Amino acid sequence: MKGYFTFLLLCFSSMGYATEKAEHIFKELAPSLYQIRLIDKASGEKSSIGSGFQISKEGLIATNYHVVSGFARHPAKYKMEYLDNLGNKGALILKSVDVINDLAIVKREVNANMPYFVLSDTTPIKGEKLFSLGNPHDLGMIVVPGTYNGLKKESFNQRIHFTGSVNSGMSGGPVVNEFKKVVGINVATSGNQIGFLVPHDKLVNLFNSYKVSPPESIDQQMSEQLSQSQDKLISTILAAKWNIKHLGKGLIPTIDVPFIRCWGESNADKADAILLAAVANCSLEENTYITSRFFTGSLEMEFQYMHAKELSDTKFYHLYENRIKRAGPPYKAIKENVSQYQCQHDIVSPSKQNIKNKAVFCTRAYKDFPQLFDILYLSASVDKNNQALVSHFTIAGIERDSALAFTEKFMESVTWN
Amino acid sequence: MELIIEEISRGHKLLGRHKFTQQTVKIGRGYANDIILDDPHICADHITFNHDGDNWIASDLQSINGSFLENSKHSADKHIIRSGDVISMGKSQIRVLFPDHPVEESVTFSTFENLITFTRHPAILISSILLFTFVASFIFYLNSTTKFNLTQLLVPAVGMTLLFALWPSMVSLISHLTKHDTRIMNQLGMSFLFFNLMWVSDVFESIVDFNLSSNWPVTGIITLIPIALAFCLFWLNCTIGFHMTAKRRITVAFSLTALLFGGSYVIQLSKKPDFSPWPSYNASIMTPNFLFSQSSSTQEFIANSEKLFEKAQESAKKK
Repeated sequence: MKGYFTFLLLCFSSMGYATEKAEHIFKELAPSLYQIRLIDKASGEKSSIGSGFQISKEGLIATNYHVVSGFARHPAKYKMEYLDNLGNKGALILKSVDVINDLAIVKREVNANMPYFVLSDTTPIKGEKLFSLGNPHDLGMIVVPGTYNGLKKESFNQRIHFTGSVNSGMSGGPVVNEFKKVVGINVATSGNQIGFLVPHDKLVNLFNSYKVSPPESIDQQMSEQLSQSQDKLISTILAAKWNIKHLGKGLIPTIDVPFIRCWGESNADKADAILLAAVANCSLEENTYITSRFFTGSLEMEFQYMHAKELSDTKFYHLYENRIKRAGPPYKAIKENVSQYQCQHDIVSPSKQNIKNKAVFCTRAYKDFPQLFDILYLSASVDKNNQALVSHFTIAGIERDSALAFTEKFMESVTWN
Repeated sequence: MELIIEEISRGHKLLGRHKFTQQTVKIGRGYANDIILDDPHICADHITFNHDGDNWIASDLQSINGSFLENSKHSADKHIIRSGDVISMGKSQIRVLFPDHPVEESVTFSTFENLITFTRHPAILISSILLFTFVASFIFYLNSTTKFNLTQLLVPAVGMTLLFALWPSMVSLISHLTKHDTRIMNQLGMSFLFFNLMWVSDVFESIVDFNLSSNWPVTGIITLIPIALAFCLFWLNCTIGFHMTAKRRITVAFSLTALLFGGSYVIQLSKKPDFSPWPSYNASIMTPNFLFSQSSSTQEFIANSEKLFEKAQESAKKK
């Protein structure tokens, strides 16, 4: 009985400690916390909001790229403002971005040196208590306690898995350890206490390179970052082991990297289906936000095996044709950002493989990042009467040479068993 | 001198023809006339033509609505008739001709007359309609994604056949209304022959699409085949159904083809969005026994793909 009491007491005290700690942290850090808002010049109303925090005494403020993306892409349409804990407003200037890690540095005017957040020089340990700060849904600044749960395993661009409620509007807010040092930046949530943070070292890198040489043009900075990141992704993929896997009577590649995950589906349970189809879909489960209507950086592969059940060949091929007619990219893009797709097709037999395909290759160029393209490849086997193997991929925001290298390797990896 | 009087419609279609040898010809609504016209705007005794030894002269008998030379306000009264004159009375028209009036040259039998007679032969007609229905039901069969029975295929196929039979029927009806031979069997036979040829051209187009790579830009030429077929069909429809000059026949067939294909092209064009985030590519495939072309190697395919990047960059520059 006595032991039980002690336990309860311990619980109480630790809870009390956490609350007290959070209060203390909030009070001390509040002057360096901001709400960042984009004001639509024509209507005079705010069009998007997020959080930010000061990282230098001269008024540099860190936030998410996606909070200020509207301004970065259309500087004439918006003006950028901060709102501090006392309700003061002021203009902000965009200084530097990291579009891959969703970070941005903006600057406010300061008259005197101001308090600011210190970026941590250590990474937290698993289970460590962290405090996320931000302004969710424009409700006012809050502090949310939570736990550090390591880096998300399947991501190509590192993200911290934070157990705690990160809500929209808190984007760009800092996450600090109990020593009030920044260890991450709020970036996304997948609901129910699962939040994702950008590790602080990404911000440290951006901040340091800004101090050395501020970027001349944000567009060019973004273009370089997108190219570099996709180049790194494709070279990692091309260097990785490509395992061969069975899909029906076909052989398909699976790439042995943790950040590409596969899912499968088939209609084997449907007794009245006249066509047996099995689909495997492998994709990079992250993409890069450029604007709310323009995403890039994704990679998706899809394989389909089809087999006719009591079906004439002509009809099988007719249904098969209908299934491959409308392939498209899984991500959004609009006229403002990309050209129309340009396509070519041919009958192709890979040199080392025993398969004949009708292959289609399409590409479209980015209007603002001239070295980047979206590509789409689709190939359909045309050498078996009652079986078909479809292989397909799309990659967004890739340079020409990487695109061709990947396409060649992919084409040589799909065949019949 | 003999006088020929033709009753004609406002569109100059012949309604009746009379030949007179006497010196005076009387026209009116009354029963005492040589030509009795059933038009309430014509007087009982309306007009007479008299031969004075040299000329025929028209005299209007002070009719209420008058007689006029065609499409003019010139009264026909006291008019010296020339061969071919058209005179309007009330709402009717007549044409006055002399025996030496020139006639058009004889029309030779169309070289297609044999084909036209061939397609109207009952056996040929029935088999081409049946072939059409069969192909239509085969297409419904290909498009059905679940199990099916025969009636489910036949009903839409027969419906489609009837729908397509509307065209020759309509042409025949127009022939009938314009006082030409109806010749419905000929129209049906010829139309269904061409509808079947359209299927053939479809299959041919699929084979070409399937086999040729995008390095062979023949798709444009291939789409001309159905247009040419449609032109031929309309031309033959005109030949069967109407007496018209060769030039007119070509104009009519050309206009109908332009209306059909131009119309659908304009509709497509108006529906086409300014920008599509979806690629449009050729993914036509057929069973392996229709594959005749040599396959390319991966390297050749990659080399062809490489060329697209520049094209995409060019099109990105166009805002």
